[in-house]
Parts: sequence; C-alpha cells; structure tokens
Amino acid sequence: MRIRRNLLLSWEILAAHKLRTLLSVMGIIIGVAAVVLIVSMGRGAEERILGRIRTMGTNLVIVRAGQVRLIAGRQRQMNTVRTLLPSDAWAIAEECPSVASAAAAIDRNMPVKWGAGSIVTRVVGMNEEGFRIRNITTPSGHPFDSQEERAARRVAVLGHTVARDLFGDADPLGLQVRIRRVPFEVIGVAAPKGVDVNGRDQDDVIFVPLRTAMRRLFNVTYIQAIYVQARDAQASKLAEEEARNLLRQRHRLRDKPDDFTIQNQVTLLETEREMSRSMALLISSVAATSLLVGGIGILAVMLISVRQRRREIGLRRAVGALRRDIRNQFLAEAGLIAGAGGVLGVTLGVCAALAMSGLGYWEAVISWPAGAVAFVFSVSLGMVFGIYPAMRAAHLEPIQALRAE
Amino acid sequence: MIELEAVEKAYGSGSTEALVLKGISFRVEAGEYVAIMGASGTGKTTLLNILGCLDKPTGGHYRLEDTDVVSLDDDALSHLRNRKIGFVFQMFHLLERTKALKNVMLPLIYAEEYPDDAEERAKKALTSVGLADRIQYKPGELSGGQQQRVAIARALITDPAIVLADEPTGNLDRRSGLEVLAIFRRLQQEGRTIIVVTHDQAVAEHAGRILLLSDGAIAHDRPVAEPRDAEAELASLPKEDRR
Ligand SMILES: Nc1ncnc2c1ncn2[C@@H]1O[C@H](COP(=O)(O)OP(=O)(O)OP(=O)(O)O)[C@@H](O)[C@H]1O
Ligand SMILES: [Mg+2]
Repeated sequence: MRIRRNLLLSWEILAAHKLRTLLSVMGIIIGVAAVVLIVSMGRGAEERILGRIRTMGTNLVIVRAGQVRLIAGRQRQMNTVRTLLPSDAWAIAEECPSVASAAAAIDRNMPVKWGAGSIVTRVVGMNEEGFRIRNITTPSGHPFDSQEERAARRVAVLGHTVARDLFGDADPLGLQVRIRRVPFEVIGVAAPKGVDVNGRDQDDVIFVPLRTAMRRLFNVTYIQAIYVQARDAQASKLAEEEARNLLRQRHRLRDKPDDFTIQNQVTLLETEREMSRSMALLISSVAATSLLVGGIGILAVMLISVRQRRREIGLRRAVGALRRDIRNQFLAEAGLIAGAGGVLGVTLGVCAALAMSGLGYWEAVISWPAGAVAFVFSVSLGMVFGIYPAMRAAHLEPIQALRAE
Repeated sequence: MIELEAVEKAYGSGSTEALVLKGISFRVEAGEYVAIMGASGTGKTTLLNILGCLDKPTGGHYRLEDTDVVSLDDDALSHLRNRKIGFVFQMFHLLERTKALKNVMLPLIYAEEYPDDAEERAKKALTSVGLADRIQYKPGELSGGQQQRVAIARALITDPAIVLADEPTGNLDRRSGLEVLAIFRRLQQEGRTIIVVTHDQAVAEHAGRILLLSDGAIAHDRPVAEPRDAEAELASLPKEDRR
C-alpha cells in the first residue's frame, strides 16, 4: 500500500529530526505515563482496601451493640449498651431465612502472661462459628468446638502477633497462658490477617470461648457484637433487614431508635468501589486534560514540520503525489509519533509504578488495560490534531511549495 | 507530442496582475532535444512548469500526447507527472536525510502500481548516471554534480517519455555540467524528448533546437546545425581529478 511504503520513509525523516519529534510528543509521553502511574497506584490502593474488607469474612453482616460512630476516620463504639444478648445471636441464626449462621462476640483489653513475658491484648470471647464466619483459620492447632464452648473450657486460640510477642519462634501449643491470672491452654494459633479497615492489627488478639469469656473473665451477661453470615452476597441486604426487624422486636423498641448498629460488608465494598470509581473519573479527566495538552504539542510541531518541509511536499507533488497522498502521509506521521510517544509513556509509567512498589512506597497494580487505552487514545489524538497540519500540507500548490526556502 | 497554442500565464489578479507569458505557440516532436533560452525573469521556469503539468496556463491550449492538459483536474495532473514526465530541478530538490537509493525510488511510491523490482530499477538508474558506488550515500555526502545526477536518476526511474530540466548545469562546474549533458544526449538517443532551460549559450548548443524567450514571447526558434558533443568535450578535458 502507498501509505505503508511511505511510512518507512516518514519514519526515517522523523528519526532524523529526533529532537523535534521528541519535543512534539513530550506532552503525550508525560500524560500517558502519568495516567498509567496514577491508575496503577489507585488500583493498588483499592486492591489493598478491598483485601482488608475481604479479610473480615464472607457475606458478612456485623451487628454491634449501641451506636457506632466514626471518630477521626475510625469506628468507635460509644457508651456501653447491655441490651445485646447471646440469645439474640441464636435467634438471628434460627429465625432469619437469609442468614446462614451467626456468632456472638465480646472483647476487652486484658493483660496476658506467659512465663516472665506479659502483654496487653484484645481478648475476644466468641462462639465457635465465629471462626468460619470471619475466615479465621488455624494452620497450627485447631479452633475450639461447641463442646468446649458450652462447657466454658479455658482454652485459647492466639492471634499471630500475640503468639510471636509471647513465644517468639517457640511452639505455644499445649502451653498455658494466664489471662488476668486465669490459666488458659493454647489450642491453636490463627493465620495472620493483617490490619483491618480501621487500620487495627487483627492479629493482636486472643480468642476464647464466648461462655468462658463472659463468666470467667468479663463477668457480664451481654455481648458486643454478632457476626452474621448471609446465605450469599445477594441475600446480605435482606439478612441485614431481617436481623434489624428481629432485634427491634426482641428489644421491644417500638418507636425508639435502634440500640444497635448494623454494618454490611457488601455495602462497605460498594462504597469502596463507588469511591474508586469517582477517583477513576477524576483521574481520567486530569489525564484527558494532559493528553489534550499533548495533542496541542503535536499540532504545533506538525505545523512547524509542514512549514519546514514545504520543498519536500512540492517535490513529492511534482513526482506524482496526489493531494490525499500528502494528507495521509502527514496524518500517518502524526499517528506514528503519537503512538511512539504512547509506547514511551506507557513504558515510563509502568517503570515508575514498578519503582514505587519496588521501593515499598506504594503497592502498585500495573493496569495494562489503562496502558492500552492510553496508547490507542494517544494515536487517535495524534491523528485528530494532525488533521489540520495535514490539510495544510495537502493544500500547498506544488509550484509554491517548491519555491519555498 | 507537445503542442502549445497561444499559451498565456498571468500571476496575481486585478491591478497587480502581471502577464508573464504572452501567447506562446510551438510544437515539440517526440525525440526532440530542445533548449529554451532567455534573460532572467522572462518566464523560462514558468513555461517549463506549464510544460511539466506543475502549473496551468491562464490562457491558450496545451496538448500533451493528445491530452488537453488545461482541462485536467489536480489528480489527473499528478498521474500525468508521475507517468509521462521526469523533472530535473535547478536546486536538485533531494530529500536531505535520505539515501540516494531511496531518493531515486520516491516517484515509484506514487506510481499506479509499485513494481516488485523497485530497488533494482533504482540501482540501475543510479548506475546509468555513473553513481553505482554512491547508492547508500546521503545528499550531504555527495558533490553538487553527483547530487544533480541523483536527481536525474530519480527523473528516469519511471521511464518517462519527456525529461524537463531547469538550469540543470547552473550549479555545476564544467566537467560535471558536461557529464550531465552527456546523459541528456544519451536519453535523447533512447528516444526520449528532452527540454532544457538554460541561459548558457554553450549548454544550449548541445540541443538540436533553441527557443529564445524574450519578454514572455518567443523571439527565435531555430535548429542547431551541428549540436555539440558532450562526450567528445569530456574526453578533451585535461585528466586531473575525476569527480
Ligand atoms: N508565483 C509567482 N507569483 C508572482 N510572480 C511570479 C511568480 N512566479 C514567477 N513570477 C514572475 O514571473 C516572471 C518570470 O519568472 P520565471 O521564474 O519564469 O523567470 P525565469 O525566466 O525562469 O528567470 P531566471 O532565469 O532568473 O530563473 C518573473 O518576473 C517573476 O517575478
Ligand atoms: Mg528560472
């Protein structure tokens, strides 16, 4: 094809004017690189937050006693409310059709000792279903079962951080720790989960059977939270509603406000996705602006190029080039340099993103689709902004063009 | 082959209109070698551009091989230039950053059908003008005479019936000029029509016929009784630096 034969020649000519060519695509290179970098960083951040939400459990709905407020970006349970009871958890599990299972829980910070070592950690009393609902696994040892729970046995599953802090590399299974002077046998160590949505270490914790915690440690009859697992993701909104109605009825609230707060993992995920979507929109508009500037760079340099190459244009016309041959040539050149700029930009952006995660500043997830879109976009941008210079070139009269200096 | 009838060319319009060609008529038969002479500014280049279909007359008729050129549109003129005409410019007009071979191949890019042996043809054309060993050189690495010969090779690549040259020896020394004229003579012997614009009487006398242009009209049109022989003159030059 005529254009393809020509493109090789164009490439030689463009390559001979390295600086001019580079300058013309600088805007595109920087724009594309910025898009790839920011999208990769955004994806990294999103992935991390979504990961944290997922570590909470699967299809999880959390009921907390009292009102939970956001203070300085973190959730805080306000004043103690004594109305939430273990029987509420039972009732939710039994009576709500959209609920697969439910586990009651209560926690307090308490001193924990082993040998000479002593730390303060969060002691969580929890039904045995809690492990499954909250995706807590015990690669070493095993979680407590319903028997141990009902018998209020003094057994404990250590969080990863607690096990490390108290025992170092030693194996704690079968050993006895003291929680507020009460001896507990370590029967398992949970797999590490990292920080939660609030930035709290989920591994700095000790799990004990709910009944044991209520009777022997905290001496209370109420609980703080119910972890509810919906049958599936679709049922989670329904499960939330059923649990709310049931609790209002059981607590005889009539027209009083809720004495509990329900958090839905699906809603949390949706909010997070919503946020990253609006973030992406913001990024795209910034990117579009910078690429627009890049396009104007191409326009300017192509106009200069057409002016400087008038004699070449005249010559091509003299040896038989049609007007549209000249137009197509300059269009193709604009697309070519914009495309080359796009490739350079993607490379630069990916390198920057890799460097960022390599240096540990930020988790970046390379977004190849964003790179591809940026590339295609810059080629079309080059062509669009190349139209006017190309038309100018095509409209030159051969005689005039040949006379140009 | 070429037939001009009362051709006029005016530049500008209205009060600034200047009539450069004022009714020019002549015929050139196929295989003729014609020189066009005249003082500077008399319209030689203007006339040659019209002959080469680069420009259209503003009056009169121009027939090229029975085609009425004046009535053709831009695309048709381009095709005509590509197929029938080889142009040699005074300023060479080579692509600076491109090797001789690619420069010579340029017209083929715009040919109706790109020949498979394009590169072979370009090499042959360059060899025929004595530049077989300069194929990979860029214009900046060639002497003026060599650049002009690359330009001639480019004009020949499409095997045109007509070769038009505007001051082809204007920028060359005597030896290089004679080499170019020797090539033109050979092209004529191959049966091509050659029209050369020059202000140099000695150059014009290599042609078989001289047209003298004066003030936009033809002052003389006379045959050359005994055209000069470039080969013989080259041979008689002292043998110092060749090329
Ligand atoms: N594009 C143009 N616009 C206006 N006037 C022009 C244009 N081209 C040529 N002319 C005028 O036409 C006249 C003839 O120009 P042309 O270039 O044909 O002369 P020439 O005979 O080739 O001269 P020279 O020997 O110096 O090359 C000149 O007076 C020039 O000013
Ligand atoms: Mg001239």
